[in-house]
Amino acid sequence: MRLSDILGAEVRDSRDHCAGTVIDIRLALDRDLKVRSSAPRLVGLVISPRTRSSYLGYERTDARSPLLLAAVARWLHRGTFLARWDDVARIGPDTVALRDGYTRYSPLLRGDD
Amino acid sequence: MRSPHPALPDAPRHGGTVLDARLHLLDRQLIDATGDPVGIVDDLEVDGIETGADIPAGTDPARVSAIITGRTVLTRILGGTPPPARLHTVPWRLVANVGTTVRLSDGDVSIDTLWVEKWLRANVISRIPGGRHAAE
Repeated sequence: MRLSDILGAEVRDSRDHCAGTVIDIRLALDRDLKVRSSAPRLVGLVISPRTRSSYLGYERTDARSPLLLAAVARWLHRGTFLARWDDVARIGPDTVALRDGYTRYSPLLRGDD
Repeated sequence: MRSPHPALPDAPRHGGTVLDARLHLLDRQLIDATGDPVGIVDDLEVDGIETGADIPAGTDPARVSAIITGRTVLTRILGGTPPPARLHTVPWRLVANVGTTVRLSDGDVSIDTLWVEKWLRANVISRIPGGRHAAE
């Protein structure tokens, strides 16, 4: 499967309600980026209930300035959340299914975890 | 000011360096071991997901196995999928560094994506007087 098969997929919960659209895929590298790394793990899906795109990742930072830009980005991407791999029940074609009782996590990027 | 995601808990630590594929990898320039640009990251190959099949609880996470690069300009504009012949697969094991660019290490994969450069060299530059040899 390719990344492009997942991006833009509609996300549905266990009751078949639309939860949003996959706007990005969160990966974790086992080792530091500065050195040769093993294959990145898919640790979750970034899902937006309102948009099909990102705004340069602005909504995944805690940036507060410029104030107007931050306010607009926050409003456009309100409700964006991270669903962990453990909560993904099925992927494709065109839809992603989440498990019953999945948890919505903050999509904020924190760099090294 | 309010947090942009006030009601959502932080995800548990993932262990390792975290990056978002679209944000940190797609469209990044690929640099080979000699420092030359050889293309951009057009797509990623993901192993460990069977399309439409249930993922049993506790399944190990899918992994990115390769970078896809190639001639995808037209399909990006017009939609659709480029034919496999226009794509190159770069195994992830050849990735040496991910930053503002994606640097590759020496490997046995030949990336022949600079067709524009080759076409210009054969059809334009070579017709310019002195264009068939290096400057002296």
